[in-house]
Amino acid sequence: MKSKLTPRLLIIGLVLAWAVWAIWPSIQYQGLSDAEKESLREEGKLERVESRVIKQGLDLKGGMYIVLEVDLPTLMENLAINKDEKFNRTIGSIRDQLVRTPEADFFSLFTTASSDNNLKLSRYYYDYGSDNGDILSALVEEGEDAINRVLEILQNRVDQFGVAEPTIQKQGSQRIIVELAGVQDSNRARSLLESTALLEFFIVKDVNTTNEIMIKIDQVLKGDESIASVTESIPEEKQTEPSESDDQTVSVSELFGETQETSTPSDSAVVDQNMYAERPFSSMLRNLGQSIGVPEKNTYAVRKILERPEVEEKLAAIGGTFLFSHKAEEYPLVDGTVEKMYSLYLLEDEAELTGGVVEEARANLGPQGSTSAGQPIVNLTMNSDGARKWSIVTGSNVGRQVAIVLDKKVHMAPNIREKISGGGTLIEGFADINEAKDIAIVLRAGALPAPVDIIEERIVGPSLGADSVRRGTQSVLIGLAFVLVFMLIYYRISGSIADFALIWNIVLVLAVLASLQATLTLPGIAGLILTVGMSIDANVIIFERIREELRKGKTPKAAVDGGYDRALTTIIDANVTTLIAALVLWQFGTGPIKGFATVLFWGILISMFTAIFVTRTIFNSFTSRKGITKLSI
Amino acid sequence: MRIIKDTHIDFMRHRRLGALLSAFVILTGVISLVVNGGPKLSIDFKGGTLVSVQFTEPMDVTAVRLSLGKVNIDGQLFDLSREEIKHFGGPAAISVRVPHLENAPQNFAQKIVDHLYDNFPGKVPENKTDFILGKGSVGPKIGAELSGKAVMAIISALGLILLYISIRFEFRFALGAIAALGHDVLVTLGIFSLFGYEISLPIIAAFLTIVGYSLNDTIVIFDRIRENVKASKRETYKKIINRSINESLSRTIITSLTTFFVVFVLFLFGGEVIHNFALAMIIGVIVGTYSSIYIASPIIVQLHENAAK
Repeated sequence: MKSKLTPRLLIIGLVLAWAVWAIWPSIQYQGLSDAEKESLREEGKLERVESRVIKQGLDLKGGMYIVLEVDLPTLMENLAINKDEKFNRTIGSIRDQLVRTPEADFFSLFTTASSDNNLKLSRYYYDYGSDNGDILSALVEEGEDAINRVLEILQNRVDQFGVAEPTIQKQGSQRIIVELAGVQDSNRARSLLESTALLEFFIVKDVNTTNEIMIKIDQVLKGDESIASVTESIPEEKQTEPSESDDQTVSVSELFGETQETSTPSDSAVVDQNMYAERPFSSMLRNLGQSIGVPEKNTYAVRKILERPEVEEKLAAIGGTFLFSHKAEEYPLVDGTVEKMYSLYLLEDEAELTGGVVEEARANLGPQGSTSAGQPIVNLTMNSDGARKWSIVTGSNVGRQVAIVLDKKVHMAPNIREKISGGGTLIEGFADINEAKDIAIVLRAGALPAPVDIIEERIVGPSLGADSVRRGTQSVLIGLAFVLVFMLIYYRISGSIADFALIWNIVLVLAVLASLQATLTLPGIAGLILTVGMSIDANVIIFERIREELRKGKTPKAAVDGGYDRALTTIIDANVTTLIAALVLWQFGTGPIKGFATVLFWGILISMFTAIFVTRTIFNSFTSRKGITKLSI
Repeated sequence: MRIIKDTHIDFMRHRRLGALLSAFVILTGVISLVVNGGPKLSIDFKGGTLVSVQFTEPMDVTAVRLSLGKVNIDGQLFDLSREEIKHFGGPAAISVRVPHLENAPQNFAQKIVDHLYDNFPGKVPENKTDFILGKGSVGPKIGAELSGKAVMAIISALGLILLYISIRFEFRFALGAIAALGHDVLVTLGIFSLFGYEISLPIIAAFLTIVGYSLNDTIVIFDRIRENVKASKRETYKKIINRSINESLSRTIITSLTTFFVVFVLFLFGGEVIHNFALAMIIGVIVGTYSSIYIASPIIVQLHENAAK
């Protein structure tokens, strides 16, 4: 009998030895202090240890999870040439459809829309083929290519951002999932990912043109009741936040070169009501000399006005476009208070130069003696082609303002003093050096072929994560302790065998997780707890059967054999059905659910192994001894 | 030690009572679901924004609600005072849930956090990163996809299980088991709806685990029935089933108790994030044990009697 047991004991021994080996780094890692980790990192050993440690999910250690989606309509617009009214209308209608039915596929909408509108794609995409079918399939490929480039560029950016173990992967044909563990400043990471990094240089239109267009916009809007709805929220402001400075009387200065009006006490905090009726657009703005000021509270209204089709028409007629500065700055007012304002610039609608020419970008502090002394700046170096164009642009526009625009936001609009021929330039207007560094990163990594939208974002703060870990571990330990004690009381020595199996069960599940490099999430901990329940159930089924057999008067050995045999089918049937549920969950699951399903799946498999194989071997080694007449169960 | 001695309870005698009780609970739940217009879905499925923040002192929800009445983002006003604002775990933590808004600005979650941070000076941690417990926003596209996937997951799990039981037992058994599962999920869904708890992604996982657990329990009894049917062909089905339930009763109770305790500990100490998950599991363990005896088994008896007629 002993000889029959030996191979089984050998298997059990090997499995246990493997489990200890697999789980050891995780235990070791837990005990390491930060300083010890640092010294291991210096020796280059940390990575090897970390690769074998059970990873904690973002919900446990804190961090951010972001799903980005490539903006296909914009990509298609960017690829098209000779765009006309019809094309823009088609793309616009697809955009609207995508808002209404977000799950729709862009390309099938594009196919229907182009045939419905009788749109000849070869007109806009003649490089891609001659008939609509060919062009569409080429565009689909173009879309796939774009996502791959986006992936590469984002990887590049994140690498330079310096986060430990970032995960960036493609999901489907349009999406990218980014997981950044332990990121503290989620805003910074967010703008780093979302930025298209489209750098453009525009010439700013002169003051007269700007004044003229503003008067035209005023005329278009004058008497239009509907714009009142955009601005009506503004007077309310006064009652709600009486402590803020903007409820005090603020003068609305005349724009550009005209005499400053003295402050008139008005009903509204931001808009001069008297002037408003006559000049609805200008009344929301301030004169800042080089640019137009938009008080922070008016930004939304101004944006809405600029989006109106009749306003867009006027702008298109003069070939200009309005862009905001990328951040609001504080300006002193005549009455001594300070107001935060964005700057608004009227630019030529064609860029003189785009960021493709950037060869190198470095963040720095402005050199002593310059206007930007001590300010964070980004130094740009252009390639020879860019340098040549830049010198032509600057040479022919001396005295005018050039706007440096990143992702459709104006960073600065300096006056061109002289022709710049070296291809070097610098950008200022950053909040701090970190922002300058991030912009330098995105400029170096290059522009995305299409804008990306953040369609899902989850951020777990480090304190919540730590709390979850503490509580999760606590619950597992309490639950485990109860079950262990209960089994010991209820089944005595047999109970201790079940306890032994249970502990090994947990160790084995963790060992499998460590070697699969799986991530332990909070639902994963819940799965572990459920595994405890499942594993105990198998033992309970067996023990109850053995008790039954013993009550029938069988010898311990016969009772154990009979009990196991009869319990076997029950355990398999019961566990296989749960296994099915776990597999379906795994298939369906994203992130946290997948973690749960992984733990549940392995937990069930391993509990079958420990309950059927391990405990039976132990029982057999007892009962095979001669002279055993009683079983402690 | 033995808690349950040999029992001879006539479970099937009370099967009508059981059916009545289940019908009552399910009906209450369904009415609640209809009144509330379906289950309360989390942002995982509906899209929207959720932020939870940690103040340094206990906060009054009404004060937070009031401050969220006017959220000014670059001149665009939002009234969030009617959204779901509640304590999160402790009195000093607050969570705000906003459904997907068509005109929501970029980075809406952060803007809400900023608004709260600026509106309660002195009651917030010095460092803003300590203020944020968590935030999330899900686009409607992701939500719609997930809902589809969740429905697919539940249907395919049920289908596969039906198939497995039909092969291993009989089709009748499979029907009984599936009915029990449907019962469990409906009851849990109904209770969640009654108490106004939301259905999030982890809750779907809990539901599928309930399905797994309930099945486990049902199969153990079925297995006994199968064994006893083979052993004694003369007895009536009803008697065999009664005997089978009695014979496996001690296992049923011990396993249910231990599992119940384990999920109860999770419910008590698991922390806010896992709280509702554990609650679903607690309901599931109770209902799952009950349904094996009073839903799955009576259906087999009934189907057998119908077939015998």
